[in-house]
Amino acid sequence: MTEFEPTIIGFTCNWCTYAGADLAGTSKIQYPTNIRIIRVMCTGRIEPEFILDALRLGADGILIGGCHPGDCHYQEGNYKTELRVRLVKSLLTSLGIEPERVRLEWISASEGQKFAETVQSFVDEIRELGPNPLKKNSELK
Amino acid sequence: MNAQELIQKHKLLECIHCGICTGSCPVSRNAGLNIRKYMREVVAHGDVTVHSQNELWSCTTCATCGIRCPKEIIPYEFLIDIRSLAVEKGQVAATIRDALESTFKNGNPWERIRSKRSEWTQGLEIKHISQGAEMLYFVGCTPAYDPRAQKIARSLAECLGKANVDFGILGVEENCCGSEIYGMGEKGLFEFLVEENMKIFRKHHIERIVTGCPHAFHTFKNRYDQTDFEVQHHTQLLSKVIEEGKLTFSKELKKQVIYHDPCFLGKQNGVYDEPRKAIESIPGVKLLEFDRTRERSLCCEGGGGRMWIDITGPRLAENRVRNATKYGAEILVTACPFCLSTFEDAVKTTGLEGKIQIMDLAELLSLAL
Amino acid sequence: MQKGEKLNDSQEIRIGVFICHCGTNIANTIDVKKVAEYASKLPEVTFASDERYVCSEPGQALIRDSIKKHNLNKVVIASCSPRMHEPTFRKTLEAAGLNSSLLEMVNIREQCSWVHMHEPKKATEKAKALVASAIAKAGLLEPLYPLKFKVTPSTLVVGAGIAGIQASLDLANKGFKVYLVERAPSIGGHMAQLDKTFPTLDCSACILTPKMVDVPRHPNINLLSYSEVKSVDGFIGNFKVVITKKARYINEVKCTSCGVCAEKCPVKNIPSEFNLGLGKRAATYVPFPQAVPPTYTIDKENCLWFTKGVCRVCEKVCPANAVDFSQEEQEIQVDVGTIIIATGYDLFDVKQKPEYGYEMYKDVISSLEFERLLSAAGPTGGKLVRPSNGIEPRKIAFIQCVGSRDVQTNPYCSRICCMASIKHAHQVKEKHPDAEVSVFYIDLRAFGKGYEEFYARVQQEGVNFVRGKAAEVYKEPNSDNLTLVFEDTLLGEVQEQEFDMVVLAAGLVPRTTAEPIQKMLKLSLSPDNFFLEAHPKLRPVETQIAGVYLCGCAQGPKDIPDVVAQASAAASQASIPLAKGEVVAEPTIAYVDQDLCCGCKVCESVCVYDAIEVEATDENGKAKVNEALCTCCGSCVAACPARAITLRGFTSEQISAQFEALLKPAQQRD
Repeated sequence: MTEFEPTIIGFTCNWCTYAGADLAGTSKIQYPTNIRIIRVMCTGRIEPEFILDALRLGADGILIGGCHPGDCHYQEGNYKTELRVRLVKSLLTSLGIEPERVRLEWISASEGQKFAETVQSFVDEIRELGPNPLKKNSELK
Repeated sequence: MNAQELIQKHKLLECIHCGICTGSCPVSRNAGLNIRKYMREVVAHGDVTVHSQNELWSCTTCATCGIRCPKEIIPYEFLIDIRSLAVEKGQVAATIRDALESTFKNGNPWERIRSKRSEWTQGLEIKHISQGAEMLYFVGCTPAYDPRAQKIARSLAECLGKANVDFGILGVEENCCGSEIYGMGEKGLFEFLVEENMKIFRKHHIERIVTGCPHAFHTFKNRYDQTDFEVQHHTQLLSKVIEEGKLTFSKELKKQVIYHDPCFLGKQNGVYDEPRKAIESIPGVKLLEFDRTRERSLCCEGGGGRMWIDITGPRLAENRVRNATKYGAEILVTACPFCLSTFEDAVKTTGLEGKIQIMDLAELLSLAL
Repeated sequence: MQKGEKLNDSQEIRIGVFICHCGTNIANTIDVKKVAEYASKLPEVTFASDERYVCSEPGQALIRDSIKKHNLNKVVIASCSPRMHEPTFRKTLEAAGLNSSLLEMVNIREQCSWVHMHEPKKATEKAKALVASAIAKAGLLEPLYPLKFKVTPSTLVVGAGIAGIQASLDLANKGFKVYLVERAPSIGGHMAQLDKTFPTLDCSACILTPKMVDVPRHPNINLLSYSEVKSVDGFIGNFKVVITKKARYINEVKCTSCGVCAEKCPVKNIPSEFNLGLGKRAATYVPFPQAVPPTYTIDKENCLWFTKGVCRVCEKVCPANAVDFSQEEQEIQVDVGTIIIATGYDLFDVKQKPEYGYEMYKDVISSLEFERLLSAAGPTGGKLVRPSNGIEPRKIAFIQCVGSRDVQTNPYCSRICCMASIKHAHQVKEKHPDAEVSVFYIDLRAFGKGYEEFYARVQQEGVNFVRGKAAEVYKEPNSDNLTLVFEDTLLGEVQEQEFDMVVLAAGLVPRTTAEPIQKMLKLSLSPDNFFLEAHPKLRPVETQIAGVYLCGCAQGPKDIPDVVAQASAAASQASIPLAKGEVVAEPTIAYVDQDLCCGCKVCESVCVYDAIEVEATDENGKAKVNEALCTCCGSCVAACPARAITLRGFTSEQISAQFEALLKPAQQRD
C-alpha cells in the first residue's frame, strides 16, 4: 500500500497568508505538495459551510490562513473567522470528526518561512491522524 | 562527527567572519585560540585540524562568543564537539582522562571516593532528603570535596538554616551534575549522568533544587531537558529570603566588597541583580563594581574543564584580583566554587595575600549573621 | 451589457486554458504539456495550450487570437501569482473584446513549481488539480463592470524629513494641494542633524534649509507642524483624514522668533532632542536655529507654569504678545485623494550592545551624536572634543555594524553607516591631521556613485581600516582611555588598543512613532519591520493599499540621494490618480438579492465600513450595499443567514466549485 497522502484545502486571505505563500515561493522554501490553496480576499469571507462541505467531500484537512490579530486588511475579518472556526470545531467534535483537521493560522505577507513550516507541520499532523473518516465511508459506498 | 556534519550542525556556512567571537574570547590572546579560524578551516579544508592541545583545551565555555555572535552561531559548542572527537580518539591529557574516569567510577571528577561525599557536613545537622524536605540542596563535587570550597557549603547550610528553609541533601547518593563533563566533550558520559541523576531525583520526588554552583545550576536548567523540578542558584534564594525578612543580620560588616559575575550565572543565565541585592543588604558593606561587570564580566578561567588541565600563559584571575585591589576592595565576592578557587590561587601568585580576601556570597553573608 | 447582468444562459461556455512555462521557472518542475493536455479534456474547455512566456507579447497574442479563433468566452491562465500579472491578463482579455472579469488565474509558480522543486511528479499532479479547480470556477464567472469614483486632487504627506519635503514640493509644483504633517516642532528630520553629506562633503544644512524654507512659502502646501494624524477613513481618491495639531502655547502668526522667551525662561537644563542630549535647551525653545516654522514652542512637560503653576515669564517678556497659555489642541479634518508615508527612521538603540559600554563611558558615542559634535551649530560649536573632558581626541575608533547584520537585532545592512563612518574619519583627519583614526568593519560597502572613490581617498589620508567587528570596549582601573578588543581577521590576531573616543555606527530601525499610521492604513511590513512596498522591483513606492505610497527610510534604510529620488518617485505615483481625476474600483463587491433578504440586519452588524444598511423606511426593510464603501471582504456574505448576499467574483457557488474540483480523486482526473 502506498503511503497516505492527505489532501489539504487551504483558504487564505489575499493580503497576508496568500502573499506569505507567494513569498515562500519567491524564497524557494520547499514544503509538501499536499496543500491546494483557494484565495479569498479576507478570511471573513469563509462560510462555515465551505469547511463542512470540503470535509464531507473528503478533504483530510482544512488550513485557514489570515492576517495577524490587529493586522486584518478589513479591520476585523480575522476575528470573525476565529469565532466561526471555533464554532465549526465544536460542531465537528460532536459529529465525531477530529477538530484538529481544521487549523487556523495567522501568517503575514512577510512570513514565507512560517507558511512553509505551517504546511509541513499540518501535513505531518494529518498524516498522523490518518484519512478523513468521511472519505473512507464514501469510498466504501 | 565529520566536517560536513559540523558545518551543518553549527551553521558554519552562515559565518561572516566578523571576528567578534575571537575578539570576545577571554583566552584567545593568552592561549592563542582563534575559534573563528578553527571554524573556517573546517569549511575550507573539509577536515578538522587540531592545532595544539593547549588551544583546544583553553576554552572555558564562558559562552561570550555565542552570546555576541551576530549570526547566532555558538562557537564554543562547536569547540566542545571538536573536544568530543579528541576524547573519542583518546587524544587527551592524562588529567582530563583521569577526571572523566573518576566521574564514571566515583560520581565526581576529583578522584575522591563516594563515601566521603558528605564529609563536609561534619558537626552540622543536615538532614537527608529522604527524611522529607521542601527543597534539595545540590552541593556539587567541588564544594563537597575541596577543603576551601567546603566552606561555601557549610556557610550556605548555615544561612539556609537561619532562614528556616526546609532543605535536605542527597549525601553519598549525589553525583556529578555533568556540567564539566559536557564541556570536556564526553557527551556519552554526560547523558549517563543525566539519566542517573534524574533517576535519583525522581526517586526522592524532587521538585525544587537549590545549588551553590552556577555550573550545576546552568546544566540542570538548560541542558537536562526536564520539567520535573525547578532549580535556583543560591544567590537567588538568599536574596529572596533576605527580602522576605527571613534572613536577618546581627552584625555590621564595615568592608568594601566587589562582586565578580560568574559566567555561568551572569552571562549565561542573566542572574545579575540578586547577588548584588544580597550583598547590599548587609549592614556596613559598601558594594563596588568592576569596570568589566555584568554582561561584560571577565572570565576567571575556571570552566570548560579548565580545573583539570594546565594551560600555559598568564592568568585572567590574576588580572581580576589585581583590579579588585585597585578599585579599593577588601573582599572579592563571587558565587561559584571555580571562581573561588582560581581567585584564591591568583591571590597567592600575585602576592596579594593579606590585601584581599576571596569569598563566596554565602560566606560573606554568614559573617554578618 | 449592464451591471450585474449574467451571461446569456443559453450561451455555450467555451473556456480557453493557457499554461505558462515561465521559461524554466515552471517547466523545469511541472510537466506543462501534460497539464495542458489534461485540461483540454475537461468539460467546457474548448482550447488548451502551453506557452513559453504567456505574459510576453507573443503569449498575449496567442490568447487574443485564440479568443477570436475559438470563440472563447472564459479564460484560465496557469502561471505566476495573480498578485503579479492578473492586471496584465485582464487587459489582454479586454483587448480581445472579452470582459476582464472572465479570467481566472492559477498560481503554479510561487505556490507550486518553486516550492516543490524536488517533486516534479507530485507538483504536476498538484498543478492539474489547481487547473481543474480554476476551470470549475471559470465556468461560473460572470462579466463585471468596474466602478468609477471622483478623486479629491490633494495629497497627505506624513513626515517632513527630506523625503516628505521633496515629495511635497514636487506635488505642489505639479499644482496639487499638499497637507504636510510633521510631529516635531520643526521640519527637516534627521538630515537637519547632519553636519556634512558623503561623498561630496556638502554642508547638510546648506543644501536642506532652502528646501525647508520653500515649504511654508508654497501656496499649494499646507504645513501642519507639531501635528499628528489621528485617523484616516475612506479609500483611494477619497480619504478623510483627521489631524491633531498640538498646542505650542505660542501663536504661530504673532511669533517673530526673536528668542526673548527662551532667553528669559528659567528652565534651561532640558536635554536638547536635536543635539541628542549633548546640549541643553530651555522649556521654551526652537529645536535649532534654522527651524521651519521658526515659531517657538513651550514644552508642557517641563514648563514651570504647567508643572508647578508658577512663572509665565515668557508671557511677560514677549514683545509680540505671542505667548498664549490658553491655546488648546486642535483637530483639523482634510480630504485627500492620495497619501505618502515618509516617516523616516530611528537610530538603533546602542545600549542593546552592552559590550561597547555606551552610557557607561562618556567617550563612547553614537554616529549621530558624532555628527552633532562636528556641526558648527552643534553643542561644541563644531569643535571636536571628548565629551568626558572637553579635550581634543588623539585616537578615535569607529565601530561598524552596531545592531546591523545581526540576527539578534537587525538582520539587515543599514546601508549608510559605512559611508558615514568613512566621512567621519575624513572629517577627523581634516580637523586634526595628527589624530589616529581606525575604522573596524566587517565588510565596507561603498556602493554608490563616487563612494568607492571617496573610500580610496580616505584610505590615502592615512585612516586605518581594520577588518574585524570590535568585540568589547573597557577601561583599565584609573585610566581615562578606552581599551578596544578586536580580532584583526585579516591577520587572525586578537589585539587590544587604547583609544580616547569610540564612535558606534548605529544601524537604522523603523520609527516607533510610525506604528499608529501603519495600523490606521493597514499597511504591511516587510520582515525587517519597515513598510512593505507593493513589489520590491517594479512597484517600489506603492503599497498594497491603493492610493498610499512610500518614500525615504520608512521603506528601508537608504542614503540621501536614494531618499530624494524615491520621494520624487512617490510624488509622481501619487499624482497619477490626482491627474486622472477619477479612480476605477474593483467590481468585486457585494450585492443583495432583495427577494431573499429578510431584513435581519446581521450584515449591518458585521460590516465595519457601514457599507451595508437595512433601510428603515418600513417594516419590510431590505439590506442595500453602498458600492462606494464596500471593500469586498465578504464578511456579510458569510454571516447572512438567508444566504441573500453574493460577493461578485467570489460567489459561494464559485468557491464551492473550486474545492469540489480539488477534492475529486486523482484517478478521476486522468
